[in-house]
Amino acid sequence: MSKSDIKRQAILENAYRLFRAQGFDGTSMAHITSEVGGSKATLYSHFPSKEELFVECMMAALENYMSDTLKHLDASRNDPEAALRSFGTSVLNFICSPEQVEVRRLMIAEAARSGTGRLFFDKISALRSQIASFLNLCMASGLLRRDDPDLAADHLGALLEAEILEPLLLHVREAAPDEEEIALAARRAVAAFLRAYAPTAAPIRGTAGLDNHLRRLPPHEL
Amino acid sequence: MKTKTESKRQAILKAAAEVFREVGFDRASMSDIRERIGGSKATLYNYFPSKEKLFFEVIHHAKEVELEAITGELNADAGDLKRELVHFGQKFMTVLYAPETIAVRRLAIAESRHSDIGKLSFEQATVPIEKQVAEFLRKVMKRGTLRTADPKIAAIHLLSLLESELLQRVLLGVISSVKPESLSGAVRRAVDVFLSGYERR
Repeated sequence: MSKSDIKRQAILENAYRLFRAQGFDGTSMAHITSEVGGSKATLYSHFPSKEELFVECMMAALENYMSDTLKHLDASRNDPEAALRSFGTSVLNFICSPEQVEVRRLMIAEAARSGTGRLFFDKISALRSQIASFLNLCMASGLLRRDDPDLAADHLGALLEAEILEPLLLHVREAAPDEEEIALAARRAVAAFLRAYAPTAAPIRGTAGLDNHLRRLPPHEL
Repeated sequence: MKTKTESKRQAILKAAAEVFREVGFDRASMSDIRERIGGSKATLYNYFPSKEKLFFEVIHHAKEVELEAITGELNADAGDLKRELVHFGQKFMTVLYAPETIAVRRLAIAESRHSDIGKLSFEQATVPIEKQVAEFLRKVMKRGTLRTADPKIAAIHLLSLLESELLQRVLLGVISSVKPESLSGAVRRAVDVFLSGYERR
């Protein structure tokens, strides 16, 4: 790592800690500078605004985790069920950890106040595209039927999160679900997804027409 | 102590809904709400013991009752299951994605660590709606239209699929309302995927 990378890493770590403890409004760039050391100019050379720094440090862990996990996905294997199940279990384990639930909650809470919602959404869309690329490969090799891979990625994501995430976000349960519970939820989600996207399943109506065009409009024009 | 009246209670709920929507749960105060309706703070507290409870009442009465009514209309004996689900999804999502419902859902998540409103909204809205949908799906499975599966999980999958294209956008405030044509496309695609995943073949 270069000196600049080390600095950037230190900024991200300190900002992450401060934002989580004090929220977006309660954390100033000056405070982050004083924790990291160095000048405010250096801080701004790495991150042009507090909003961008906030989004960057909130998403960093998830981005790293997803890219590592996706590297291990192999669409050429003849067993997309096993690949997707292990992918789903792995991602669910991560996003259901107390720290990531807190990050997600903070992200939603601050999105309106600080105007960072759009920045978060762009990052989440980029992660979604990575999953869509994998699904696209599965479609190309005939393991899944041909359809809009972005839509398929939305459906897979929704099914994976369906059983577990909401009670965590709403603080209905304190404890993170254990591995067995997560594995079960992932297995059921992937089973439903694969049935729906099996090569023999009926194509989804409307994905090729006007609606598909609507889906591709920028999010604020929906 | 004066007798409580339903009209006063409704006036408080209406004023509170406006204040919450305008400034958010955090910044809303019981004083702001009292100013809009007049009367003393003691009167207000006599109707609603806390801001959290008032907030929840606003959600519950304005939206959850509506959502439960829509869910209650699901008819397992309807001849065309796809049509029944699309019709349900369209009505359900129209309420769920109305700007004020979006606002209160976001607040419930944001505030869940500091108050019991997240828990209340889950227990008094999410759970009963999931149960209603599960009961409907159980009957449909029994009739043989859908494959036999855990109806509770199937219900959660259906509800989650309905939101799959739009939830991130609304929770992050990227959009604050959704046009009917975008909603109907998302609903149709979700129902198609749900049926492919759960239909008997």
